[in-house]
Amino acid sequence: MEFLLANHPLDCPICDQGGECDLQDQSMQFGSDRSRFSEEKRAVEDKNIGPLIKTIMTRCIQCTRCVRFASEIAGVEDLGTTGRGNNLQIGTYVEKMFMSELSGNVIDICPVGALTSKPYAFTARPWETRKTESIDVLDAVGSNIVVSTRGGEVMRVMPRLNEDINEEWISDKTRFSYDGLKRQRLTQPMIKDQSGQLTPTNWENALSYVAAALLSVQGTEVAAIAGGMADAEALVSLKDLLNRRGAENLCTEEVFPLAGAGTDLRSNYLLNSGIAGIEECDLLLLIGTNPRYEAPLFNARIRKSWLHNELRIAMVGHSVDLSYTYDHLGEDTSVLQELANNTHPFCQVLSAAKRPIVVVGSSALQREDGAAILSAVSTIAQNVRTSNSGNEQWKVLNVLHRVASQVAALDLGYKAGVDAIRKNPPKVLFLLGADADCITRADLPKHSLIIYQGHHGDVGATMADVILPGAAYTEKNATYVNTEGRSQHTRVAVTPPGLAREDWKIIRAISELADATLPYDTLDEVRSRLAEVSPNLIRYEDMEEANYFKQANELAKAVKQDLLAAPLVPPQLELKDFFMTDSISRASQTMAKCVKAVTEGAAAVDEPSVC
Amino acid sequence: TFGPLADEDRIFTNLYGRHDWGLKGAQKRGDWYKTKEILLKGVDWILNEIKTSGLRGRGGAGFPTGMKWSFMNKPSDGRPKYLVVNADEGEPGTCKDREIMRHDPHKLVEGCLIAGRAMGARAAYIYIRGEFYNEASNLQVAIHEAYSAGLIGKNACGSGYDFDVFVARGAGAYICGEETALIESLEGKQGKPRVFGCPTTVANVETVSVAPTICRRGGTWFAGFGRERNSGTKLFNISGHVNHPCTVEEEMSIPLKDLIERHAGGVRGGWDNLLAVIPGGSSTPLIPKSVCEEVPMDFDGLIQAQTGLGTAALIVMDKSTDVIRAIARLLEFYKHESCGQCTPCREGVDWMNNMMWRFVRGDARPAEIDMIWEISKQVEGHTICALGDGAAWPVQGLIRHFRPVMESRIAEFQQQQQARA
Amino acid sequence: MASAAGSRAVAAAKVVKPIISHEMGEAKSRVRELYRAWYREVPNTVLLYRLDISVSQGREKLRELFYKNKHLTDIRVIDMLVIKGRMELEETIKGWKQNTHIMRYFNESVQPRPTDFLSKFYSGHDP
Repeated sequence: MEFLLANHPLDCPICDQGGECDLQDQSMQFGSDRSRFSEEKRAVEDKNIGPLIKTIMTRCIQCTRCVRFASEIAGVEDLGTTGRGNNLQIGTYVEKMFMSELSGNVIDICPVGALTSKPYAFTARPWETRKTESIDVLDAVGSNIVVSTRGGEVMRVMPRLNEDINEEWISDKTRFSYDGLKRQRLTQPMIKDQSGQLTPTNWENALSYVAAALLSVQGTEVAAIAGGMADAEALVSLKDLLNRRGAENLCTEEVFPLAGAGTDLRSNYLLNSGIAGIEECDLLLLIGTNPRYEAPLFNARIRKSWLHNELRIAMVGHSVDLSYTYDHLGEDTSVLQELANNTHPFCQVLSAAKRPIVVVGSSALQREDGAAILSAVSTIAQNVRTSNSGNEQWKVLNVLHRVASQVAALDLGYKAGVDAIRKNPPKVLFLLGADADCITRADLPKHSLIIYQGHHGDVGATMADVILPGAAYTEKNATYVNTEGRSQHTRVAVTPPGLAREDWKIIRAISELADATLPYDTLDEVRSRLAEVSPNLIRYEDMEEANYFKQANELAKAVKQDLLAAPLVPPQLELKDFFMTDSISRASQTMAKCVKAVTEGAAAVDEPSVC
Repeated sequence: TFGPLADEDRIFTNLYGRHDWGLKGAQKRGDWYKTKEILLKGVDWILNEIKTSGLRGRGGAGFPTGMKWSFMNKPSDGRPKYLVVNADEGEPGTCKDREIMRHDPHKLVEGCLIAGRAMGARAAYIYIRGEFYNEASNLQVAIHEAYSAGLIGKNACGSGYDFDVFVARGAGAYICGEETALIESLEGKQGKPRVFGCPTTVANVETVSVAPTICRRGGTWFAGFGRERNSGTKLFNISGHVNHPCTVEEEMSIPLKDLIERHAGGVRGGWDNLLAVIPGGSSTPLIPKSVCEEVPMDFDGLIQAQTGLGTAALIVMDKSTDVIRAIARLLEFYKHESCGQCTPCREGVDWMNNMMWRFVRGDARPAEIDMIWEISKQVEGHTICALGDGAAWPVQGLIRHFRPVMESRIAEFQQQQQARA
Repeated sequence: MASAAGSRAVAAAKVVKPIISHEMGEAKSRVRELYRAWYREVPNTVLLYRLDISVSQGREKLRELFYKNKHLTDIRVIDMLVIKGRMELEETIKGWKQNTHIMRYFNESVQPRPTDFLSKFYSGHDP
């Protein structure tokens, strides 16, 4: 204890770790209240390792946890020790950025204040924040998080232990994009006026305007698109509302092939093995995905298995750095065909494996030939499953989604993909947080009305005629189902800004004005409605299993679609593609700095050091 | 009484480089003689001879070698086993291994083969200190000669046993002489000690080099030297304030005084001018003249004198020595060489070093002598490797035997300060 | 009817310990006394607190507040209300109150809590 404190500065009053510092706790427990160290203290130069992590290296006690995290869990050999003895320093050897999608976790594991969060620096103390246990919705993993708030403002996001999902880590996007929740927000209802300008109005006007629009057209002329961060409550109320008005065209932005079994069999669109299931398998085939950036914690789990269980990994798709080695089988769709026909040399390895898993990325299914890809993948999985006899319960086929809302939307009966809307352009289009730009004005008839309900002024809001401000995930009690089919719910950490309201309530209010009053007034009532539609949605923390692979494969074989020649290239290839993928992270300055730092070097976003 | 060692009982017959160190010369001196027969006698026979000989590790810790090697010879779990020879001789005052490698490299190569056979290893890696350029080059030549003569490599000496010897050169860090750090360094990582072992044995150059002779002349011959549990012959390095500093092979348990008087030409200015001796390389606590009179040079005898045999490198200090400064200089060495992995060593050694240099000036309070004693006790035994211990012991030895010197130095300094004020 | 109620109240008052009044008539006279005191005080209050109301409005409110409790028959309840009324009066006369405390009698800023979903929705985040 004395030795640890010998060269540790007395920074506690100005240290961001103060109050949650392991060394502080230890010295309170075991330490002496006076010092006999009368020599000079050591000082170490601070290093700039990017816009996320602030280093005050003098405070470092050389525990090398960060070095071990970087090399063992994140899989980047960026951090290391230089020097010996008392001159031992933690650093990146040369001045560079700590290039990892999981870099923020070193802040948590640093027992002292040597590595702290740059955006959070000097903003709050741990004892003055209120902690709300919640769920992350920026990817489909559904990481468990703790939202720290103070006075109606999110101060930071930290991980919460869940061994089945994120263990104790979260990705940098999850951790640092919270400043996007304070920017570009929609805070009041808006209606486009005569001159084409969106002008602020009140709820009464906006709601009656929307209700009138819904009433003025036939039910079949109304459609809705749900975006990547829509919650199950909003999804079910929107569906109930439009169904009551006679509309059936409710879609999700994210495409999932509807041919064959499509979304009818749940096992077709889930990560059936579960995230923790990766640790049991011995062979993993990735198809058209880059899990490192599409689901960083899933990737961390694969890496863990690769490291400790000697998991063998193969990949069909663009060659990317996954932080572990894998057999790259090629990026052409012909490889898939060969694998499905049992003509590829790798098939022997597949059939020899005892517990193989095939994971197809949802980005691969966005393509024109998504159905053919899914059919091929399904055949590969089913072949493996039958050759791997006596293990009927083992699940092979897995779909790795990228957005948090998709599984719940499909569970509730939304159609995946907006093809139906393109074919049958509606007069009134309701966008529920749809910001992926998959339907534009050009796809719609001239005088159609676009209603956007969401929390950010992003792609969807700019083309809307009416804007209904909704709540972001930190501001509502909402249900999300992650890619493995596990239902979880967020909790209110702060109230929505301005006039923004919880999403399902907005829809419920519209329904009353549109003569289709929905029969639920409270959250509990909405959730019992959710249970009516799909009971798994309110079985929180529970992973609802699905097992209809054989049937799904038989249906998939009926798909008559040819694979396109274009190679399988996931949209996120490098670290710079990772940071800004949705309306929240696009609004985040921190994420913008990350992109800049990754492309131009950490020095490009050098901030004046306050300390 | 022990010593002097008769010439016919010397193992290292070319210690002073007066003869040819190549294969020819080595064979003339009896190396590689009937090595095949030794190998063919089998693992158990070799192990038994080594066990009978009572050979203890010559690297400093003094672990019984026969026992250590037999641990390795358990049924294989499929992974190849390796012998690592520690030729990273960095202990201040020690220069025995380099003499072997420079003048008798074939003893080491042959020793690798026999030791490797005894533990069923596939190959030996000799991790040689980076500064030993000539030694590494001689060793490499010797290995090359042995390969060409079919003594090692495939079907070594015609025994049907395959064995390779590789040389790896270090980059000059003291800590890499520590077993586990050495392995890390061999694996291309930073040389830092680790806690979890692996199926590799690390043995000192001298330990390995004496193995062939033991096998040839029999374990009982070797056991006939020295006291019980401290048997054999040993290379002693005598340096410091003696008339003829030297490296000499002597019987174990020879009295320290005999060793100095007979081989090193006595202490500079006569035996009465002796102040203290560090008997086993810099890591061991020093012993004052009164103890030196009687103490035998072996593991147990020196432990009784609250010090240790270590690498058997005697550093002799006469009365002109500023003993506090000498220990402070040693600590500075340890401070510089600490790898920084364990907190007690990283922080404690630096702290003690700072304090020691204040003691050299006398700029301290008498109570701080007890404090540095306490700190050294906190460092000792709380680290992964023995560097922390090695840094703590010299300080403890100093306080144990020279506390009055330290106190008078402090008093002197305070008087000066008062006179100035 | 009224006398029957009164006698019942008296009967009840006999059982329990009275506060100040022993019978209904006495209680009633205390009420009248309090009413008159307030009635006389209203012009002063309007002046003292610079209320934005006329004296007659004040007296009207006074009458309304007294009539609010006209159904009471329990002497102890009446007594208690009289005591509270005196305290209010004292605080008003001595200027211990502030403007808003007086205007609270007029309930100007109080809105009924929303009950149906839509008005809850309009009124705020989580009514």
